[in-house]
Amino acid sequence: MALKVRVFCNAGMSTSMLVTKIKEVAKKRGLELDIVAFPLAEFEDKSKDADVILLGPQVGYAKKDYQGKAGGIPLEVIPMVDYGMMNGEKVLDFALGLKK
Amino acid sequence: MKDFLQQKLVPFVLKIVNFKSIQAIKNGMFYVMPLTIVGSIFLLLANFPWAPVVNLLASLGMIAPFNQIAGATFDIIALVAVVGIAYEYCKAENLGGALHCGIIALASFLILQDSFVITDAGLQISGVLDKGWLGGKGVIVAILVGLLAGKVYTFFLKRDIRIKLPAGVPEGIANSFSGLIPALATFVIAAAVYGIFKGIWNITFVEAIYKVIQIPLQGMTDSLGGAIVMPFAITLLWFFGVHGSSIVSGIMQPVLMANTLDNQAILDRGLELTVANGGHVVTQQFLDQFITVTGSGMTIGLVLFLVIFAKSRQNKTLGDLSVVPALFNINEPILFGVPIVLNPLMAVPFILTPVISAVVTYFALYVGLVPLFSAVMVPWTTPPIISGFIVGGWKTALLQLIVLSMSFFIYLPFIRSIDKHNLAVEKAAESQQ
Repeated sequence: MALKVRVFCNAGMSTSMLVTKIKEVAKKRGLELDIVAFPLAEFEDKSKDADVILLGPQVGYAKKDYQGKAGGIPLEVIPMVDYGMMNGEKVLDFALGLKK
Repeated sequence: MKDFLQQKLVPFVLKIVNFKSIQAIKNGMFYVMPLTIVGSIFLLLANFPWAPVVNLLASLGMIAPFNQIAGATFDIIALVAVVGIAYEYCKAENLGGALHCGIIALASFLILQDSFVITDAGLQISGVLDKGWLGGKGVIVAILVGLLAGKVYTFFLKRDIRIKLPAGVPEGIANSFSGLIPALATFVIAAAVYGIFKGIWNITFVEAIYKVIQIPLQGMTDSLGGAIVMPFAITLLWFFGVHGSSIVSGIMQPVLMANTLDNQAILDRGLELTVANGGHVVTQQFLDQFITVTGSGMTIGLVLFLVIFAKSRQNKTLGDLSVVPALFNINEPILFGVPIVLNPLMAVPFILTPVISAVVTYFALYVGLVPLFSAVMVPWTTPPIISGFIVGGWKTALLQLIVLSMSFFIYLPFIRSIDKHNLAVEKAAESQQ
């Protein structure tokens, strides 16, 4: 089964750039990965059956609230510089490390 | 310094932006945007700056239908906002029935309105709503009512004060029943407020709020001070790593939109849109096209430096991946990659650039070098220059070009010093290997 990662940021725009990079890395590694970016407003609907949830650093302020809403699903904020540099490699490792 | 920022100041700022009401206003106003953008298309067509187009549309009988669209979008933004804000407030509480809460807010908003109009001749026409109070002039009341309905609804549901149905009743039905008590409470409050204002001052609450709160707010926003505070607040929040533009523009949108619609009303009356005729300088377009254009902090100048002049490998990479998003006014890579967030050195040009742009733009519009904005708006992701051209014409586009070029020179000394530093670090790392 593909690992299901859901990434949320303000509008899901800059995050979708990062997601594209992560997909490239996953493809290179031959990893089965189901990763999509959404705006935070859609959190309830889109996070339900995720394995790992990531938040963009610009909405990191809401981490506590959303950790509550996520139930037991691991949720973390993407490190700022990795996000800024759109470092798919590092963020993918970060997500894999969160998986239970 | 950095510890103080991260441990004391950042949590404090985060606490404020996390206030439920602020989030509800920001998220609730989001539902207004599609209406105004699509409405803009038809407003632009019906008032096309080239007469043959307008004449053609008129001969096809299309002007009236187009105006219907503009009238059913711009003119009801308060109605949409009141539903959206109450809905978002309840949704964040995760109690279920958020749409019920939105609809309770809608009804309460209408309870506060007169259900008749009086014509100039003094004739009273009953059974109608005055559209004049459902659009820009009603936005502050929409916020108040949306938040009130949200608070009342969650107050009762959190304490589990509701009409309970036996287990096994479908959730939707149970929700509609659990909304009865909060609906009753909210309607009674709204009706009491309507009665008091009507009985004592013979005006509606909506009119009172408009005169006492909204007009001063619009005036404050539409001043040099207002023009400076907005970019300052946006960049300061971003400095703390918070999405400043979504929060500031979310909160300011009702007032900015009201200013925008006032301007359109001046045009609709057939007057020239000038400051002397009551036109507003600071509107939604002022924010979108002159403060957050190419991203918060107007970082396009920095991006250009990285692409053309950067010597550090990291900066070159960052520049290359930032160009395309910058053209669509997205700059998270820059904010987190340089980084600008929590970087006191970069805070200087980051705050300065949009503030200077706001001052320059304010004066250019105020003295009439560049026209004031009508209600024609574009999505905030529209590329610069194009966006300026659509919302205001060639002069507006030219002004954008000027302030964006300025961005390069303001960022230059700061980013050059960071580039030197990064280059030195990279070289040191290489020589170690």
